[in-house]
Amino acid sequence: MTQLLFRTAVLLPVLCLIAIVVMGQFHVTAKETLRAAARRAGRWIVWIGLLVLGMELIAVFFIGW
Amino acid sequence: MTATDKQNPASLRGLGWGTFLAGFVPGLLQFQLGQKGRAILAFLSCTALFFIGWVLVRDRLFYFALFAPETDPVHLSTVGILARCGITVTLPEILNFPANAIGSILAFDPSYEAQRLWRLPRALEDLGGFLTAASGYLAAFWSADGHWGMRLQRDGGVNPLRPICNPAFAAGISWLLPGAGHALAGQRSKGILMGASTVLVFALGLLLSQGHAVDRAIASVWWIGQSMCGGGVLFASLVTAPQEITGSFPENLDLGTVLCTVGGLMNLVVMVDAFSIAERSVFPVLQLHEGDA
Repeated sequence: MTQLLFRTAVLLPVLCLIAIVVMGQFHVTAKETLRAAARRAGRWIVWIGLLVLGMELIAVFFIGW
Repeated sequence: MTATDKQNPASLRGLGWGTFLAGFVPGLLQFQLGQKGRAILAFLSCTALFFIGWVLVRDRLFYFALFAPETDPVHLSTVGILARCGITVTLPEILNFPANAIGSILAFDPSYEAQRLWRLPRALEDLGGFLTAASGYLAAFWSADGHWGMRLQRDGGVNPLRPICNPAFAAGISWLLPGAGHALAGQRSKGILMGASTVLVFALGLLLSQGHAVDRAIASVWWIGQSMCGGGVLFASLVTAPQEITGSFPENLDLGTVLCTVGGLMNLVVMVDAFSIAERSVFPVLQLHEGDA
C-alpha cells in the first residue's frame, strides 16, 4: 500500500510535466502552455482515476474484498 | 495549410523514399544540394565520433544491439549473416549507417569465445557507448539539415527567406540541452518550461534509481529511449553509470528506468517542436488546435 501511494505521488507531478511538454507544441508562451497543461493534466487525472476505480471494481467482483 | 501549400500542393508531399534513405549516409544530402564543404564536415564528424567510441566498445556494441547476432559459428542465423555484412540493428548507431556497418564488419566474429566476450564489461564502455550513439544522433541531425535544405530548395522560391535559426541545429542543441533550441528559435520562456519539465522527469528517474536507471549494459532497450535526452545520458555515462551496484538492486530501479525513458521521449517532442518553430519562420502554418493532439 505504501508503494502504491508512493508511486501515485510520483505519477501526479510527472503527469503534469508530461502535459507541459505535450501542450507546449500548441502554444507560444510559457503562460499559455501552463494554463493549457493544467487543464489537460486535470483531464488525464480524471481518466486515470476512473480507470483505477474500474480495475478495483473488477478485482472486487472476481477476487472479493 | 500554409500560403505556400495553397499555391503549390506539391509542398504537402514529402521528399520521397530516395531522400529519406540518402539521409542514412551523413553528408549525402548536402552533397546533392551542392554543399560540398558541409557534406565533408557531416561525413567526417559522424565517422570520427563513431570510431572514437568504437575504440572503447568494439564488439560490445553487438551486446547493446536490439537483436544481438548470437549465432551458431558454423550455421549463421539471419541476424548473424546481417551482422557479418555490416547490418547490425544497434540503435541509434544505425542512423549513421556507413560507420556502423564498417564497425560491425571489423568487430564481428561468430565464434562462441567472441560471443562470450560481448558479455564482459569493458573499461569506459559507458562513455564509448554514448559516443557511438551520439554519432547516430549527429547523423540524424545532419540528415534533418539536408532535408531542410531540400525543402527550402523545392518550396522556398527564387529568393527563399532565411529561418530564424537552422531547424536542424535547433533540434540538435535541444538534444544536448532541452529547451535551448526554443530559445534560439525565439520562444525562450516556453523553451525553459519544456526543457525544465524534461530535465526534472529525467533527474527524478536517476534519483529514484540511485543513479542506475541509465546504464546501457543493464537495460539496453530502455537506454534507446533514454538516449533521446543527450545531456542527461552524457551526465549518466560520465557520473552515475560507471558506479557499481553494491548489494541488492535499488528498490525503485524499475520506476527510475521508466521515468528516465519517459524523459528521453519527452525530449523527442521538445526536439521536434524546436525544429518546427524554426521551420515555421520560413513556412508559416495556421495555428494548430489542442484537439489535434
